[in-house]
Amino acid sequence: MKGLGSLIVAAAIAFAPVAARADLKAITEAAKKEGELTWYIAHYTSEGAEDIGRGFTEMYGIKVNVVRTTAQVAYQRLLQDIKNNQTICDVFSSTDVGHYVRLKAEGRFDKYIPEASSKIVPTFQNFDPDGFYHTTSAGLVVLTYNTSKVKPEDAPKKWEDLLDIKWKGKVSIGHPGFSGYVGTWVLTMKKLYGWQYFEKLEKNKPQIGRSINDTVTALNAGERQVAAGADGSTLFSAARGNPLAVTYPTDGSVLIIAPSGIMKGSKHPNAAKLFMEFLYSVEAAKINAKHFGIPLRPEVPAPPGAKPISEVKTIRPTVTEIDKGIPEVIEQWRDTFGN
Amino acid sequence: MAVAASAIDIAPARRQRVFDSTWILWIAIIAVLLFLVVSPFVYLVITSFQAERTGDFTLANYATAYGRARYIDALLNSLKLGAVSALLAGVFAVPLAWAVARTDMPGRGFTRMLVLATFITPPYTGAVAWILLAGPNAGWLNRFYMLVTGAEAGPFNIYSFTGLAVVIALYSFPYIFIFTTAALELVSSEMEDAANILGAGPWRTMRKVTLPLALPAILGGLIICFLEAIALFGSPAMIAIPARFNVVTTQLFQFFGNPVRVEVAAAYAMPLLGVTILLVLVQRLIVRRKGFVALTGKGGERRPTLLGRWRWAMFGYAMFVAALAVFLPYIFLVQSAFAKAWGRGFLLDNITIANFRFILFEHATAAQSVINSFLYAGVSATVAVFLTLGVAYIVARRLIPFGGVLGFLCVAPFVIPGVVLAIGFYAAYAPPPLALYGTALILILAFTTRFLPVGYVNASAAIRSLNPEMEEAVRVLGGSRLTALRKVVAPLLKRNLLGAWLLIFIPATRELSAAIFLYGPNTKVASVMIFDMSEEGNFERLAALALILQVLTLPLLWIGQKALGRDFMLRRNAT
Repeated sequence: MKGLGSLIVAAAIAFAPVAARADLKAITEAAKKEGELTWYIAHYTSEGAEDIGRGFTEMYGIKVNVVRTTAQVAYQRLLQDIKNNQTICDVFSSTDVGHYVRLKAEGRFDKYIPEASSKIVPTFQNFDPDGFYHTTSAGLVVLTYNTSKVKPEDAPKKWEDLLDIKWKGKVSIGHPGFSGYVGTWVLTMKKLYGWQYFEKLEKNKPQIGRSINDTVTALNAGERQVAAGADGSTLFSAARGNPLAVTYPTDGSVLIIAPSGIMKGSKHPNAAKLFMEFLYSVEAAKINAKHFGIPLRPEVPAPPGAKPISEVKTIRPTVTEIDKGIPEVIEQWRDTFGN
Repeated sequence: MAVAASAIDIAPARRQRVFDSTWILWIAIIAVLLFLVVSPFVYLVITSFQAERTGDFTLANYATAYGRARYIDALLNSLKLGAVSALLAGVFAVPLAWAVARTDMPGRGFTRMLVLATFITPPYTGAVAWILLAGPNAGWLNRFYMLVTGAEAGPFNIYSFTGLAVVIALYSFPYIFIFTTAALELVSSEMEDAANILGAGPWRTMRKVTLPLALPAILGGLIICFLEAIALFGSPAMIAIPARFNVVTTQLFQFFGNPVRVEVAAAYAMPLLGVTILLVLVQRLIVRRKGFVALTGKGGERRPTLLGRWRWAMFGYAMFVAALAVFLPYIFLVQSAFAKAWGRGFLLDNITIANFRFILFEHATAAQSVINSFLYAGVSATVAVFLTLGVAYIVARRLIPFGGVLGFLCVAPFVIPGVVLAIGFYAAYAPPPLALYGTALILILAFTTRFLPVGYVNASAAIRSLNPEMEEAVRVLGGSRLTALRKVVAPLLKRNLLGAWLLIFIPATRELSAAIFLYGPNTKVASVMIFDMSEEGNFERLAALALILQVLTLPLLWIGQKALGRDFMLRRNAT
C-alpha cells in the first residue's frame, strides 16, 4: 500500500511537469499566432520597461506595445478603456496595489497562475491567494541625494530629516496623484508621523515632479539635493556615473510590492499568459537586476551596490490600507500642496 | 401615346440627375459638418447635465465642478494667467511689429524670420527649454547669474506663476505680431507726416498716431493670446504641477482621472467655452472697426520712420526677445538632446547620441508616435482642405439658400478650446454606438474639426479670387458643377490648397490639448509621447524627440512658403 502511494507520488512528479510543459508549449504556439500584446506598465523606468519588452520580443518574436506611464495615469487609462468597453491592455502592471483590489472585485482580471510562480523568491509568492494577480516587481522608497552637493555624513538618515529647514528649496519628491510608489510612501509617512509630516514638508518647498523617477533627474541636474526616491532607478543612474547615492532610512525603507494581472477579455490571452511567464523567468530577472530592480528569481544575484532586501529594515502598509488610503492621501495632498 | 409619355418622363429625369449629383454632395457636406461641429458641442452640453450611470437630468455635475475652493481657484488662476500672458506677449510683440513694419531698424527680415521660428515652436517644447533655462537651482540662467555675481541662488524660477506666464507669452506673441504688422503696414505715412509737421518727434508720432491706428489689431491679438493661454494644456501640466497651482486645463485632466468623471469635466469646461465665445465676439467687433480705420488711411505712400541711432537700440530689443524665444531655448534643447545628464553642461564626456538612438530605435513606440502624428495630421489636413473648399464654393457661388450657415459652422470651432472640443468628442463618439474610443479616427476627426477654420478662411479667400466665368464655361459646355470643381477650380487653386494643407498639417502634427484626452495606447502621437516622457523628467530624451519633430517640419515650412509665395504667418491668422 505504501509502495503504491509512493508510486503514485513518483508518477505525479514525473508527469505533472510534462503536462504543464505541454500546456506552455500550446500557449507559446497560440501566443506567436497572436503576435503582439499591450502592456500598461508603471513598475519600471521607461528604459527598464522597454528592455523587458524587447527581451520578450527577442525570445518569442512577439511584439510588446510598452505603454509606460505613472501608476495613476495607467489606471486612469484602463478605467477609460473599461468604461468604453474596450480591452486594449492585455497585461496591467501598476505600483498601486489598491488598483488590483478594486479591479479584482469588479471581476476585471483573468485568472492565470504562472507555471513559474513556484520558482520565485518565496516572500513574493502567492500575493493574491485567488491567483488573479501576481507580484512582478518589488522596490524600495529610500532617501537619495546628490553626492557632489551633499556629503554622506550630512545626508538625511531618517524620513523626518527631510523636514529640516536646511533642506528648504532642496528637496525633490514625486506626486501621489501620479506615482504609485509615491502614493504608498505618502501613506506610510502619514501612518508613521501623521499628516503634519506633509504640512511641515510643504514649508520646505519641495519640488514636486510626477513620477518617482523624476527625483533622479532633479538630483542629477543639480536642481535639488535630497529626495524621497526609488532605490532601483537611483542606483541605476549612479552606476552610469551620475553623482547619486541612497540612504536606507533608519525608520524603515518603504517596500513596494507591485503585481501584474491579465485583463479579462484580452485580445491576446495567450501572449499575455506567456508574458506573465516571462516576467517570472530568469531572463527577465536578469534584465530587472541590470536596472537595479529586486530580482524575483533566487538564481539571479542582487544588483551590485544595493543592499540585499533581507538586510534592509522595511515598512509597508497593508493591502487594505493602500486600497482605502491612497485615494484619501491624494486628496489631502492636493489640499496641502495646491494641486 | 407611349412616345409622349416617355418624352415627358425623360425631361424631369434629366434635370433631376443634374440636381442629384450636386445636391447629394451638398447634403453630405452638411451632414459631415453636423457630425464634426454641432454634435460634439451638443453632446458636451447635454453630458454636463447628465447623471453618470443613469443619464437622468441633474445639476449635480455643476455642484461637484464648482463645489470646492480648489476648483474655483483653478478657474481664477486661468483667467489671471490669460491676462498676464497676453499683456506680456503684447510687450514682446508690439515694439517688434512697429519696428519691422514702420521703421528703418536693421535686420527686419531676420526679425520676421525669428518670429516665424517662434511661431513654429510648440508651446510645450518651449516650456521644456525654459525648464532647462530657469530651473530654480540648476537652470542655466541662474547658474550664469550665480557665476557672475557670486550669489547663493539665482533670481529665476520657472516653477512659478510668473514663469509659466512668461513661457506662454513667449510662444504666443507671434499672434499679436502678425495682427499688428498687418495693420501697421496699412497706415499711411501722411498721417505721421502731419504729426511731424505739427512738431511731434518720431516717438511722439508713434505713440499718438501710429499705434492708436493699430490699436484694434493689437487688442485683437491680445485676445487671441489670452484665449491661447487659457486653453493650453502642455505647458501648465509641466510647469504648474511643480509650481503647485492648478489651472482649468490641468483640473479638467484630473476629472478624467480616478474615477473618470466626463460629466463633471463637461460641466467644468463651460466657463472656458463661455469666456472664449464672448471674447471672440469682442475681438470680431474690434477688428471690424480696424477695417474702417485702415481704409481711411489707405492710398497714401508708406515710408519707414527713421530712427537714427535708436535703430540699433530697437534691433537690440528685437534680438533680446529672439534670444528668449529662440536662441537660448534651442541652444539648450540641443545641448540637452546630446547630453548624458543635461545639468552637467557642455563637457565633452557629457556628449552622447544615446538619446536619439533610444527614441528612434530602442523605444517601442516613440518612433511610431512620430509616424502617427504625421499620418493623422496628413489625413486631417486633406479632409479639412477639401471639405472647406466645398463649403467655401457653395457659399461663394450661393448654390443653396442659407449657405452662410455652413460657413459659420466651419469657423465655429475657432471658439472651442482644444480641451473642450476633445471632451465633446469624447462624450459624443467614444462610447457606443460609434465606439471610437482609442481609435485613430477619433483623433483625425478632432484634428479636422479643430483646424476647419484655418482651412475655411483660406479656401474662401481663394475662391473669391476666381472669376465664376471659367466655371460657367464648363457648365455651358455641358459639364456638371463637380466637373467644374474638379477640372477648373481645384487645378487653379492648387498652390493655395497646398498652402492651406500645410497650414493645417504643421500645427496638427504637434497638437496636444485635444490629443491628450483622445489618444489610445496604440494611437499615441508625438506630442503625447513628449508629455509622457516629461513625467519622469527625462529632458534629454524629450529634447531629442522635440528636435526630431522640429527638424521634420522645416522642409514642409519651406514648401509652404514657396506654395503661398509669401510669408507663412500672415495667412494663418487671416481669421
